[in-house]
Amino acid sequence: MATKTKSRSVTIKNDLGEIDRVLQVVETFGEQHRVSEDILYAITLSLDEILTNIISYGYSDSRAHEIVVDLSFDNGVFCTKVEDDARPFDPLQTKEASVDAPIEQRPIGGLGIHLARNMMDYMEYKHEAGKNILLLKKKF
Amino acid sequence: MELTHEMKDDVVHIGIKGKLDSRTAPSFEERLMQIIDQGHQKILIDFARLDYISSAGFRVLLFGARRLAESSGTIALFGLQPKIRNVFDIAGFSSIFSIFSSRDEAEKSLKA
Repeated sequence: MATKTKSRSVTIKNDLGEIDRVLQVVETFGEQHRVSEDILYAITLSLDEILTNIISYGYSDSRAHEIVVDLSFDNGVFCTKVEDDARPFDPLQTKEASVDAPIEQRPIGGLGIHLARNMMDYMEYKHEAGKNILLLKKKF
Repeated sequence: MELTHEMKDDVVHIGIKGKLDSRTAPSFEERLMQIIDQGHQKILIDFARLDYISSAGFRVLLFGARRLAESSGTIALFGLQPKIRNVFDIAGFSSIFSIFSSRDEAEKSLKA
């Protein structure tokens, strides 16, 4: 039986094709710790939205950048930390997405952040030494 | 993600399997828009084997529904797994799409 580690770290390049690698680690790591499918769905979806956002809109140059995702367990809480050197962006400061407008007026921007904010239990953002640091927590 | 589609009477049945995310949404968008642009007005999407949807998937559904509304067409969805239904609720998409539990019900709604 594989040893249960309490933390994992994955580093990816700013390429949408790299996101699946992070999500697979989250799934394997979560399953090892018997995290339910619903909780894992909330975590993978939130991370997917956050990473997609950083990679799609965060960089103004075309160079390769690294994004570091740290995963850990702490007293029944699944903690995720995303660290990137994209332009400063605090997802907690974005306007709440309009999710009750009729179909013709429904804006699509901001939906990913809305999903992440509503599916996680806790989110904290800071900008330190030129890096965005986002903490996401989910009880399981 | 795997996509299938077939015509039954005047209804296009689309089956979607796997993950609908920012990596797979472009090919779903291409197929859906192609079907709509061919003039089909009744589209039924089987979500039973869809395990994952992110905002990129919702974006395609919204664009498809808008394009279809221009020709008075309709999309009906059915078979959503509870976790997928939950994300539809949080995204506020349960109120803008007709969602049914079975293919029969969805088909009836399109024929009404």
